[in-house]
Amino acid sequence: MELTSRERIRRIFHRESVDRIGLYEHFWGNTISAYQKAGHMQQGESPEVHFGLDIIEVGAINLVTDIDYKPQVVEETETTITIRDGNGAILRRHKLHETTPEHIGYAITCADDWAKIRHRFTEIDERRINFEGYRKRKAFAREHEKFLLLSSVNVFEAIHPICGHENMLFGMADDPDWIYDMADVLSNLIVRLQTILFEREGLPDGFWYSEDMGYKGTPFMSPQMYRDLIMPGHKKTFDFAHSLDLPVVVHSCGFVEPFVPYMIEAGMDCLQAMEVKAGMDLLRIYEKYGDKIVLMGGMDVRCMLGNNQKAIDKELEEKIPIVMQGNGYILHSDHSIPSTVHYETLRYFMKKGLELGRY
Amino acid sequence: MFEEISVQLQRGKAKDVSALISKALEEGAHPGELMNALIAGMDVVGEKFKNNEIFVPEVLIAARAMNAGLKVLRPALQSSGVEPIGKAVICTVKDDMHDIGKNLVKMMLEGQGIECIDLGVDVDPQRVVEAVRESGATLVCLSALLTTTMMRQKDVIDALKEAGLRDKVKVMVGGAPVTQQFADEIGADCYTLDAASAAQAARALFVN
Repeated sequence: MELTSRERIRRIFHRESVDRIGLYEHFWGNTISAYQKAGHMQQGESPEVHFGLDIIEVGAINLVTDIDYKPQVVEETETTITIRDGNGAILRRHKLHETTPEHIGYAITCADDWAKIRHRFTEIDERRINFEGYRKRKAFAREHEKFLLLSSVNVFEAIHPICGHENMLFGMADDPDWIYDMADVLSNLIVRLQTILFEREGLPDGFWYSEDMGYKGTPFMSPQMYRDLIMPGHKKTFDFAHSLDLPVVVHSCGFVEPFVPYMIEAGMDCLQAMEVKAGMDLLRIYEKYGDKIVLMGGMDVRCMLGNNQKAIDKELEEKIPIVMQGNGYILHSDHSIPSTVHYETLRYFMKKGLELGRY
Repeated sequence: MFEEISVQLQRGKAKDVSALISKALEEGAHPGELMNALIAGMDVVGEKFKNNEIFVPEVLIAARAMNAGLKVLRPALQSSGVEPIGKAVICTVKDDMHDIGKNLVKMMLEGQGIECIDLGVDVDPQRVVEAVRESGATLVCLSALLTTTMMRQKDVIDALKEAGLRDKVKVMVGGAPVTQQFADEIGADCYTLDAASAAQAARALFVN
């Protein structure tokens, strides 16, 4: 029996029998446009529908400091644009490629700065919520029987746009009370905004929290710092999800394996991305935690870069027969699909993966 | 005193390190030996970082303490003729704006007594060539975060070849998608997994 996407993912989160493993994917910004230019996809066509992905995300919560601030262009060249944003951060972005921006400067660098803007996050302004966008996306997901995840950052990814990675990491060592307070205030805000959204527009099927807490070979902070400063915010938001009987997916780039037991303790239901190039190993994580959480991703995207089917076969055949055991796996690359991956290659990756992942 | 400088640096106590360096200079300590004390502290930090005993926040405050100490020490180093052990040009390659990893490597290199010419991010290969020519640096460190930008590291190596500078510099590459195999394929001289290993490898290149 072929399940709908929504039912399949719901059953995966409950570890009930399913027809096949789940399927989801993310794309770098210029990948879909490259596929459109090549005639593989129509303009405006939904990748979730086109590729038969099981999940749809919707972002509806705005956590910027000053929601009335119109981003100002500080400098623009042929290839880059430097903008001051609503957090008072000055970021330089590439105009022609999608990359992480250069962090030039931040208005908030310490606890005293934070004290001046803290009230912006304790007062509820409903303009932080995109009711209409949520409503439309939810209707689209229901129309196509997809599993809808409300997508937002959680405390780690909410803090650093305000004060920058370096100030945040300095703060963890120098002034942990400051970072704890930011995480506490922001997690309260997230829950309060979600409560208002759901009262008006109804529930999604789950939550997607983006928390890029690691880089190559090591997390950004010690496990103890995670436990003391970030985990309480995670627990608060994850507990709220569970009070609604909804699962929580946590996305993290980089190497975050030392945090996994604590994220499970906080209530994470699914770990996503598991970047191989950063040192994450899907099979090792499955062996250690596969009975406790659903896993999504962990397939080395580099197997697709050469557009070589044998490399894809090897990657999928090594992993899928193992991780599909226990009905807790959703196929996904270990981050996002770059435009250098040919459309046919991606199609092959998904087709082969789902063939291997059929129960 | 030298041991205390090293210990306070490891703890990230910038003010204490500055004060200890000032006091030691007043008492007639040789600037080179004080530099060695700072380097010894950063060595411990690097080793602990490599072994996952400490993490980026602790490295950042240690590097800040190192810089605070260096600020006090630098005039004395110059007047006594103590030179850096080497010069490195460091940058994130063209089309890549990411700077956290590059900055961390730079801090670690400086912690080994290496002078860094930091070209920033999104750097054109020709700018690297010019910086090598102008500074006389013998090490080029290239960072790339993305699979979409890692090939730009090869562009720099090619530009150095075209400029006739390839045999005058060692090229070190790093970043999330970079591997030893990739480094070998593009003809880099050195690849390391983390910032602490990069600093140790750079020191070995200069000392040997």
